[in-house]
Amino acid sequence: MATYAHPEVLVSTDWVAEHLNDTDTIRIVESDEDVLLYETGHIPNAVKIDWVNDLQDQIVRDYIGKQRFAQLCEELGISNDTTVVFYGDKSNWWACYAFWVFRLFGHEKCLLMDGGRKKWVDEGRPLTRERPTFARGSYTAKDPDPSIRAFRDEVLRHIETNRPLVDVRSPAEYRGEVTHMPGYPQEGALRGGHIPGARSIPWSRAANEDGTFKSREELEAIYLQEQGLKPDDDVIAYCRIGERSSHTWFVLTYLLGFDRVRNYDGSWTEWGNLVGVPIEKGAPTPAEAEASA
Amino acid sequence: MTTLDALADELRFADDAMRLEILLDYAGRLPPLPEQYHALRDAGLNRVDECQAPVFLMVDVVDGKVKILADVPEEAPTARSFVALLLEAFNDQPPSVVAEAPPDILHRLGLTGLLGMQRTRGLSAIYQRIKHEVARKAEASR
Repeated sequence: MATYAHPEVLVSTDWVAEHLNDTDTIRIVESDEDVLLYETGHIPNAVKIDWVNDLQDQIVRDYIGKQRFAQLCEELGISNDTTVVFYGDKSNWWACYAFWVFRLFGHEKCLLMDGGRKKWVDEGRPLTRERPTFARGSYTAKDPDPSIRAFRDEVLRHIETNRPLVDVRSPAEYRGEVTHMPGYPQEGALRGGHIPGARSIPWSRAANEDGTFKSREELEAIYLQEQGLKPDDDVIAYCRIGERSSHTWFVLTYLLGFDRVRNYDGSWTEWGNLVGVPIEKGAPTPAEAEASA
Repeated sequence: MTTLDALADELRFADDAMRLEILLDYAGRLPPLPEQYHALRDAGLNRVDECQAPVFLMVDVVDGKVKILADVPEEAPTARSFVALLLEAFNDQPPSVVAEAPPDILHRLGLTGLLGMQRTRGLSAIYQRIKHEVARKAEASR
């Protein structure tokens, strides 16, 4: 079986279990949708990063700046050369989101635990409520890396130049029947639909039932053969607020080896509310279906 | 001062780390759902649709007192803690206590800052469901 394009980035629960105490060089980070889940019990020696309270600026709709990022890392005992292993709930959505933010600020050694929190729990592995403390790290953050983040004007240019956009939301959101995922109505938008020309490839197609990623062959069958994407394509992925598309960004970049994938974190909560931009409604048009056949 | 006011004060005057501690404590105190309701829960009835976690709520008014039964999975501890708090505040109280409870409860509990806007909606839906159902049952039992 072919291995992933960058197999070293994905680690197993076994690997994490073996490295729990390598805290001088490795930091395990839990990142969940639920703000309280880490407190109910987490992998021993894991620290918590919350996507709202830690990674997002509370005033500007944006990520924290590089100074704040460096401070966050130092508080968690993360230095520039620390290997950071991410895991979390919801098939690793927020772990991928945190991973992406770390890459945005140029952190080199980022790993993801395949299967996330659920797999660790289902395997009956140890959890603790003990919050670890580590010696303060020393961190110099880099400026955000624009090669993995897309803004709305870049999305407009993508439409004009017919470059691939991947909508990873549920089919009903894509068609414009609903403006949010079932269960997340707060994250709505004024209009329902998708960015013109975007392919519909729900994020969940890349995941197995147990939250692990599908094999290289299965992923290639979906993204390459079925959807017609090519590893040298300039791809922008989006969802509603940028977390599910972080998952797809991870799949395309590290598992399939695409070298130009950007996450449009403004996503549908920006595009669906933006004045003066076009949207499309309904199922993929026949031309797109043909192109992706 | 109502029970809810007292609980709200405890949370409101805490910092975020203490709030998480308090919520964790509530999450562990949600009474188990009596077995006779498991079939209803498993069939997806009485589910709060706005919540992404399967939150089960059964609201009744018996002899002029509010009776709420609930179940929330352990993987959704925030919703679990909020439901446990509401059960402590409302169970065995007259329906008027629920009717008079403030509409901006999440703000009063200091939870909007902790959760961010994206995570409050499911909890609001739980609260509105309880208020709505208590009013309906109180009216029906009159």
